[in-house]
Amino acid sequence: MSIVKLNNRSVKDVTAFGSITSLGSLTHIATQTASSSASISFTSGIDSTYKEYIFYFVNIHPQTDSSSAETALVFQVDTGTNTNYNQTITSTYFRSQHDESASSPALGYRTSGDQAQGTGFQNLAEGQGADNDQSLSGTLHLFDPSNTTFVKHFLSNVTYSHHGDYTMNAYVGGYVNTTTALTRVQFKMTNGNIDSGQILLFGLN
Amino acid sequence: MPRYKLVNGERIQLTAEEEAARDAEEQAWADGAAARALADLRAKRNRLLAETDYLALSDNTLSDDMKTYRQELRDFPDGKDTVEKCKNATWPTKP
Repeated sequence: MSIVKLNNRSVKDVTAFGSITSLGSLTHIATQTASSSASISFTSGIDSTYKEYIFYFVNIHPQTDSSSAETALVFQVDTGTNTNYNQTITSTYFRSQHDESASSPALGYRTSGDQAQGTGFQNLAEGQGADNDQSLSGTLHLFDPSNTTFVKHFLSNVTYSHHGDYTMNAYVGGYVNTTTALTRVQFKMTNGNIDSGQILLFGLN
Repeated sequence: MPRYKLVNGERIQLTAEEEAARDAEEQAWADGAAARALADLRAKRNRLLAETDYLALSDNTLSDDMKTYRQELRDFPDGKDTVEKCKNATWPTKP
């Protein structure tokens, strides 16, 4: 087959494009829509099919912002058919902040957001605001959850409205310290429900 | 008011046991607020101290202003036993 060079007049004459199969793909697995939900769990669709799973948070809106307790979106994982969501996690948490009056730009590590071999839920965004127009959006990447040789790394970046009316950008990374395959992920707020928002799960290969 | 969980898109009412567990979780989170705030305050205090550590090396003489500043930083967590006290605290000014 001869090679045809495309120009801005010849594209309309092309009758077929060859397929490109080696670029990989992002595959939608599931979408869950919060409705005053105490928690949101993905208990299927996470297996060895994909090397990376990506959760997209779209306008996650908490029921309460409880400013004294710093409401946070949190997650945990589990293995097999377990639903204890208490795997061992070591993680880091830092964030930047700014507000509309440009009065408090800051970048810093948050010891209250990290874990050192902890089994609690991992913070993704401390101090979320619950005003009607406040929410959170971002991603959580879970890498190779079915691997049985290595610990399971995760990486999250979210942007959200803080209850103090800051815009916050939180970076959380770490690993689930197990070589058992992870099969389940649960999200919830540290206090109150997830009033609304969507979490979309995609697989990447 | 009953609470519901979402599992793979299915809305399921929490059992009494799950309700109790959720209440306990929320209470524990609220109870730990002051400790978390103090931990963050200490972390910032430690960073600020570290910034001037080089001035306190044995072959250096600390100025009185710097001695005072570093002492104020060391004492800073004292009495900060609520979230509000931690948040509203005024940090010492670096000389």
